[in-house]
Amino acid sequence: MTAAIPRIGATTRGALAFPAIGKSLMTKILLIEDDGETAEEVTAELVERGFDVEWSADGTAGLASARSSGPDVLIVDRMLPGMDGLSIIETLRQEQVRTPVLVLSALGAIDDRVRGLRAGGDDYLTKPFAILELVARIEALLRRPVQSRETTLRVGALELDLIERTARRGAREIDLLPREFRLLEYMMQRCDQLLTRAMLLEEVWNYKFVPATNLVDVHMGRLRHKVDGPNETPMIHNVRGAGFILRTPT
Amino acid sequence: MIWPELVRSTSFRRALMLVAALTAIIVALFGFVYWKTDSYLTARSDQMIMTQLNVISLLSDQRLLDAIDAHLRQDSRGVQFAGLFGADGSRLAGNIARLPPGLKTGTPAHGVQIMAIRGSSLENRVVQGVARQLPDGEVLVIGRLVDETVDVARVIGQALGLGLVFALGLCLVAGALASIRASKRVEEVSTRVQRIVAGDLHERLPQTNDGDPFSKLAAIVNGMLDEMETLIHALAGVGNDIAHDLRTPLTRARLTLERGRANAVTLEQLQATADKTITGIDQSLAIITALLRLAEIENSRRSAGFGVVALDQLLREVCDIYEPIAENRDIALKVKASPELSVHGDRDLLIEAVANLVDNAIKFTPAGGRVDIDLIRGEGESVVRVSDTGRGISEGERDAVLRRFYRSEKDRKTPGVGLGLNLVAAIVKLHGFRLAIFPGPGCRVEIACPDQVP
Repeated sequence: MTAAIPRIGATTRGALAFPAIGKSLMTKILLIEDDGETAEEVTAELVERGFDVEWSADGTAGLASARSSGPDVLIVDRMLPGMDGLSIIETLRQEQVRTPVLVLSALGAIDDRVRGLRAGGDDYLTKPFAILELVARIEALLRRPVQSRETTLRVGALELDLIERTARRGAREIDLLPREFRLLEYMMQRCDQLLTRAMLLEEVWNYKFVPATNLVDVHMGRLRHKVDGPNETPMIHNVRGAGFILRTPT
Repeated sequence: MIWPELVRSTSFRRALMLVAALTAIIVALFGFVYWKTDSYLTARSDQMIMTQLNVISLLSDQRLLDAIDAHLRQDSRGVQFAGLFGADGSRLAGNIARLPPGLKTGTPAHGVQIMAIRGSSLENRVVQGVARQLPDGEVLVIGRLVDETVDVARVIGQALGLGLVFALGLCLVAGALASIRASKRVEEVSTRVQRIVAGDLHERLPQTNDGDPFSKLAAIVNGMLDEMETLIHALAGVGNDIAHDLRTPLTRARLTLERGRANAVTLEQLQATADKTITGIDQSLAIITALLRLAEIENSRRSAGFGVVALDQLLREVCDIYEPIAENRDIALKVKASPELSVHGDRDLLIEAVANLVDNAIKFTPAGGRVDIDLIRGEGESVVRVSDTGRGISEGERDAVLRRFYRSEKDRKTPGVGLGLNLVAAIVKLHGFRLAIFPGPGCRVEIACPDQVP
């Protein structure tokens, strides 16, 4: 499967640098978005990545589709004709539908975000967004880490002992600072998955804002320096303009 | 045409109410004066006839009869009555036909009906009368018609009535005038307000210095308009700054696209063009995001997200995040937060504020320098201090740095949006804390968090 992953720059789309998991599963996505052009772009991108996309332009029809076609993930705009996005989510949640939902909105205020998540949304993305950010978040929703009892995380030769708080790559011990440990743990739980800077800021550092300095890159640079030794195959990859992936070596 | 409107106006209706009240007062006053005058005149008249009775009853025989005659002759208005009756009730003298049956002897004057002789005819009259039995058994009656009260009452009534007419007229005229004046002023204000609404920000409401409430109100509104005009101009200035700061990266993006379209021959070149363009657009978006965030914080009134925030922990966390960045730039970042101090606030916003200060400090400190984050216990307040060994902010720039998009000319090459300190200031203000910037050498910024936020 990993052989299918194109290398950065070696593809016509530099963005296609992480596995399109939709391809094998034919993951169904329901997009409820009233702006035709946005919907078209998003649909094209997702279809290209192997997802099966259904598009609804208004709230009522969207809710009906969500009930009838049983999508694997929902992308819901907040402001919709017919029925607003949050009401759709609330209705579905009342009907015990647990499908992950990504809320899209032009409203970026923290309060709106909180409201969106409280209504039952699983993630919230503010417009305008980078298409890769959207894709990364959808993949994250589809592959939420399973709560396991494992106390050791393993990706290739990389091992993270959650009890002892130690890390090793093969025989080599890696000495990590607490913040580096936290970052690596998060990445190992989501290996082979694009993690955008915004996602990392939100999840690892609990930052609700985007700082002026490129914090994530600096931290990631340090971690990469420790994880990927001089003669080892790199595991942490930078996806240009998007974020980072911890990739299982072939 | 103006009349129906006039009658509906509040000031006119108030005038009408005043008229009604005035009428009631004047009628009551009239009643009171009438009652008082009447009782006074009656009392005086009673006293008079008692005196006459006393004087006349002391006389005897012919002198008594003469006195009665004289008494009646002196009366030109025909209001006096007198009579002398024998012990058997026969009339001996005077102008009363017979002894009035209701008249008691030896009592004070009281109202009684008598049969009066007018020339050759008899008339029934109600008078105030007294009677006394003389030693020889004869009865002397003195009476007096108290009709002066009616005259006096008429005069007073006329005077008050006339006064009332004038007062009512005056009230109505005053009410109408006040109403016309008020509606005129309202009309003028309305015209001017419409001009303001139409966009003429220099227009002001008419204002005199005679201290009348309407002028005072106009003065208040004018003050508000002055403030708004200043703010709108300031906003327009900010708008220009925004336009400029947004245009710069967009222009770059456009140029890149244009040149890329004309010159790129390979896919890689086109991709490079696209990447550069996206960077430019992202920069513009970052500015918009920062502005929206600033507006969000500035307009936020909520303190629902507030809780106890441990400042020492918060500072260590910020230091932890920025340590690698400082290290990369060869700057020593140290935190000294030994006292365990906490404040009431929004943790996320406070992290954002401190992170912004530290971010700035690292950005403006040359390699080899140091940035210190300290938590100090001041007098009744906890102080977060971020200081660096950069060139600092000059006295003259101190206010300017809090202006939106302000970046010192020397900093034009440093990346940034120029809204960082604005954000800090907005967050600090939201919490009721104080932001202080101290001039160089080295920059020192403090957030003072009073224990009791006013």
